[in-house]
Amino acid sequence: MQVERKMLHRHLVNRMRGQIRMKTATIKQILYLSFLAAVVALLPAKSYAELPVPAHITPPPGEHESPTVPQPIEFPHDRHVQDMKINCMYCHTYARRSQVAGIPPTSKCMGCHKVIATDKARIQKLTEYWEKGESPRWKKVHDVPDYVHFSHEKHIRKFVFDADFPVQDVQQVCGVCHGEVRGMTVAEKKEPLNMGFCRRCHEANGGPGDCWKCHK
Amino acid sequence: MSNVKVNRRKFLKMLGWGGAGTALAGCDMPTTVTLEEGKEEVVSYLMPEEYVIPGIGVWYASTCTQCEAGCGLHGRVREGRVLKLEGNPDSPINHGNTCLMGQAGVQAHYNPDRITSPMMRKGGSLQNVSWDDAMAELSKRVGSASGLKGDRFGMVTGTVSGHQAVIIDELMSSVGSKNHYVTEVVNTSVWSAVCRDMLGDELPTLNFDKAGVVLSFGADFMGTWTSPVHYMGEYAKFRKGKRGALIQIEPKMTLTGGNADLWLAANPGTEGALALGIANFILDRGWNVNDVPSSVRKSLQQYNLSAVEKVTGIATDKIKRIASMLTERGPALVIAGASTENHENGYDSVASVMLLNLIMGSVGSTIEANSRFPEKSMRAKQGSSKDLLLLAKSLKAKSLDVLFTYNTNPSYSAPAVLQLDEGLSNVGFKVAFSMFPDETTVKADLVLPIFSGMEDWGTHVAAYGAGEPTLSLQQPLMEPLYKETRGFGDLMLNILKMRSKDFDKFADYYGYIQTAVVNMPANVVGSVTGDHADMWTNILQTGVIKAKGEKGSLTPKLVEMKYKPQQENAGYPMHLIPSTGLGLWDGRHANLPWLQEAPDQISKVVWGSWAELHPKKAAELGLKNGDYVRVTSASGSVEAQVYVHKGIHPDAVAVPVGQGHTEYGRYAKGRGVNPMKILNPLMERRTGELATYATRVTVSNAHQHGKLVHMGGSEIQMGRKFVRTVSADSLRRTEGEV
Repeated sequence: MQVERKMLHRHLVNRMRGQIRMKTATIKQILYLSFLAAVVALLPAKSYAELPVPAHITPPPGEHESPTVPQPIEFPHDRHVQDMKINCMYCHTYARRSQVAGIPPTSKCMGCHKVIATDKARIQKLTEYWEKGESPRWKKVHDVPDYVHFSHEKHIRKFVFDADFPVQDVQQVCGVCHGEVRGMTVAEKKEPLNMGFCRRCHEANGGPGDCWKCHK
Repeated sequence: MSNVKVNRRKFLKMLGWGGAGTALAGCDMPTTVTLEEGKEEVVSYLMPEEYVIPGIGVWYASTCTQCEAGCGLHGRVREGRVLKLEGNPDSPINHGNTCLMGQAGVQAHYNPDRITSPMMRKGGSLQNVSWDDAMAELSKRVGSASGLKGDRFGMVTGTVSGHQAVIIDELMSSVGSKNHYVTEVVNTSVWSAVCRDMLGDELPTLNFDKAGVVLSFGADFMGTWTSPVHYMGEYAKFRKGKRGALIQIEPKMTLTGGNADLWLAANPGTEGALALGIANFILDRGWNVNDVPSSVRKSLQQYNLSAVEKVTGIATDKIKRIASMLTERGPALVIAGASTENHENGYDSVASVMLLNLIMGSVGSTIEANSRFPEKSMRAKQGSSKDLLLLAKSLKAKSLDVLFTYNTNPSYSAPAVLQLDEGLSNVGFKVAFSMFPDETTVKADLVLPIFSGMEDWGTHVAAYGAGEPTLSLQQPLMEPLYKETRGFGDLMLNILKMRSKDFDKFADYYGYIQTAVVNMPANVVGSVTGDHADMWTNILQTGVIKAKGEKGSLTPKLVEMKYKPQQENAGYPMHLIPSTGLGLWDGRHANLPWLQEAPDQISKVVWGSWAELHPKKAAELGLKNGDYVRVTSASGSVEAQVYVHKGIHPDAVAVPVGQGHTEYGRYAKGRGVNPMKILNPLMERRTGELATYATRVTVSNAHQHGKLVHMGGSEIQMGRKFVRTVSADSLRRTEGEV
């Protein structure tokens, strides 16, 4: 899995960068870390079984080359989704209720991280935000223009609740547009999310074709 | 190529295919509008309220502050921002509706020209200062140690009501001054004076729904008269079922006039004579319900048909037709508005109009006693143009040392001959409580930026309570946009605290209102029950408190009628009509782009001023749409582009009020002309109101032409049947005499 290997590599490099910034970089450390990185890069990448596409969805073809967007905290989606088996909608709780999926409120993060992983630099940074009474200013990765009326609620209703799709597997539905978030740290855009992509999906899956359904 | 014929149909077909091709190719184009990753921020809530869902709006009840009507609002708030306003269905004034001015309320709130810091005049110019400095200066000038006392202190505001009126009264009595000038150019002061004298009630309830025919002498009740949104609802009821007939007599067609079945332009200033002529004819025929004393009957006899035709220019058959419609299509309701009220003989004209109501038996059926709000101190203090004249007089006499201005712009509204600006410079210390740098605010010595209507607390009691006296609550729809702005009530409370310890118990204006509202006697908070906390929650949810009103009774009586026609003025043959409309109102909304771009309801002109002329007059002067004319009175002149329209008296020129701002932000400044500036200082004889429709002018060609910017290039349908019409004759055959 070339892509995943690349991703893991970037993940580690980013981590290293963080460490270097935190401590006074010594040549010894750099050499040690480079060696470590080389060893890790040569190891077979940690592989996931490919995320299955739900049988009731025909995914539209589409490609998107994603730049990495630096975020105020390098949030590890992989850790939460893959390792901890947390449901997408546990944090993105508004997805089934509103147009927007919502970034989880900082209070939700702190609900766990008051006690969990408090020794980690990222959690310490999060705690700093919390104590200042601020939320991190995340950069938007998935977005549609203002003249497009996209509703998460309608899509979740159709493809999960109305289709009796098991809610615990919701990431398979989310993944149609958002890619394999479970393998990412910070979110990356994997699908083009442009009108062609939307239209092909609507055609393949029986979505509405009227202009005004999306352009209100 | 020459033999390829492309007709319209083929051209459209080609365009269609081309367009589709472009669109299909465009579908897969990477969208770069907001799609670029990492270009926008998304910030989550720190700790969301349970009921808050991003993307889903929550509606809060509040009150509209765009004019004095006091309509109830529901504001949609999403992610902490107010996005959309609608009417509050629980409000007896607007029953869930709003007008375009109400809709544009969000643009006042989010306006980029809002003042965001206190300013003090230093070395001739206004400079930003801190609130500490501003309040220290205020304390020095008006605090207990300042020695400010008595009538050397003045305050000028627009119409105020509710706790705002109470707290202003507190300040006035604390200083011991009676100089609270309440100015409004768009008002119904003369109508109110006549109603008070002839019916014993300043603003009686008008039952449009019970009327079969409404005869309106220039009352633009759908545009600017008393409570437009309320009357639009009443008008709908009036037209439903057995369709009522509307007759409008006015020199310039208003929105109401445009909806009338019969629209007539009497010679400006002679509306009273027409009303008396109609009354005389009805009495002659014995069609009247109530009789009049023989002395009155006798004095009316001079208003015979031919005499009235001569004075008013309305043909006798039209007068007969109005009289027979009033009788046959009744119950009748006869009302009068700006173009009748605002002449030197305005009171007499309106009294003549009211006489029609008395003889047609309208009092008690279509006109009933108003139910007044039980707490007298909270009733609306209605603005008038008389107070504008009084203010100008006091300023000229240098009888004010400190002047507070709030929610009014006398420097824009006052005619130039009143020399109000020069007068303002006689005042030692002028404090403007203002959201915008308008003409009055920029002349102040201390400018205190206040909250918008969507950021502040307040209570409102509409002057026209629509039969159900209501206290309408204004609650903030969102956090203040700018941290250096303050609530007007909070500032008033601070000033009172500078003068007396009595107000120390109130932390802020919110506390003041809350304490006052939940402790109001049962007859005031009639509709709200429960303990204090429950009551307050209930009031916040509904936005209105329906009080048990004091229903008075009407005591109709005739007043001495000294009807005098307007004087002719040979040097100035034309009548100037400073028309007002639903939109820019008296000029206060010129800084809202939505209202600038909303076409005038009659001329369809946008973003500018115009001079409306009758086609006959335009032909006489050799003018066409877009030509510039100079409108000159004895007090000044303005230039505007001509708009030729049949809905105006041939001897009148209408220039709308609202434009011609010299300040007031980027959307208002330097656009069009202000006809108020060229008005002569004429007063209505009995009430002392400014006779805004009495100024005589000349109209001359300015020999310049430009394209008049207005919607709809044509007045006719060019043979395409957009609006189906029937001829008046065929309508008369099927619908009776209309």
